[in-house]
Amino acid sequence: MTEQEVIELIDSSIAEEFELDRSEMGADANLYTDLGLDSLDTVDMVIVLEGAFNFKIREEEAIRAIRTLGDIHRFVLSKIDQQP
Amino acid sequence: MKEHSTHSGAKTASSVLTILLMNLWCYALLALWTLLGVCLFPFAFGLCLLVFRWSGDRIARLFIWIYGRGWLVLMSPFVRFRRQQMSVIKPDQPYLFVVNHLSFFDTYCMSLLPVHDITFAVRSWPFKMFWYSGFMRLARYLDVEGSSWEETLSNSKSAFAAGGAVLFFPEGHRSRDGELQRFYSGGFKVAISAGVQLIPLCIDGSDQLLPPDRKLLHPCRITLRALEPIDASLYADEGGHTRLRKLVKDRMTCALTEMRGEKL
Repeated sequence: MTEQEVIELIDSSIAEEFELDRSEMGADANLYTDLGLDSLDTVDMVIVLEGAFNFKIREEEAIRAIRTLGDIHRFVLSKIDQQP
Repeated sequence: MKEHSTHSGAKTASSVLTILLMNLWCYALLALWTLLGVCLFPFAFGLCLLVFRWSGDRIARLFIWIYGRGWLVLMSPFVRFRRQQMSVIKPDQPYLFVVNHLSFFDTYCMSLLPVHDITFAVRSWPFKMFWYSGFMRLARYLDVEGSSWEETLSNSKSAFAAGGAVLFFPEGHRSRDGELQRFYSGGFKVAISAGVQLIPLCIDGSDQLLPPDRKLLHPCRITLRALEPIDASLYADEGGHTRLRKLVKDRMTCALTEMRGEKL
């Protein structure tokens, strides 16, 4: 999967799960202030990403630092890089 | 012209008087009803434990339902309550209800349902209201914000196993314009994982009772309609919860449009 395909899968999965408008989903979009997500969505976000990429990330400390869609892109890409 | 304006002035004065009377009546009686409930609850609770041999949380849910019914009776001189299609709800069946959210009073309106063993799944803030939190904890209401997903699922399954229902507000917040907002997935995932029937409920009119940023209650009509049950176990495949959520939202949108007499 290319980097662009990974980003597309992340964005489409998140848009589907949280009923978001793709036109508002720039890499700089803050998940909470721009996209309207909140604490209840955090668990669902992890489940969506685990389902889309078939890895386990719920115990990862780095998730807590995620604020923007770009943070998610970078997090997932690095996670894929670390996989054997 | 003058006759028209006199007539309109009399009508305004009459509605102002009605609103004043309603607020004097409702707030005074509701305060008394609440006080009576709090004072009598320990004795009634103990008596029910002895007589029915039910679990404490089930008895607490019964009393909360009765308390809600009391609210509706006290409000009824000024608020017309209507129930529609309640025959789809069978007693002692483990349902998951999802209902749209317009007003603080929506929770009280759930006593319009023909079943009383309902575990509410709510955010953390209602648990911070000290005058309610003790009862909510006793009734084992679900704090979906303060609990893990596993705890919410496990506690929901316990409620279903006892033949009770669990109720979610999938929007998470009250709608400011009456339109359905984004739905959270939690309730749908619980229904699928537990394999129970999901019943969408539509409430209309409660936003007129106490409009946002107002302090005075207003006369209104409140309608609660139950939609056809959906077998959530049919959505256990990948992405099933998203399809179920969309289906429910579509059905609720159509029903609310019809209830409001708007064009589809």
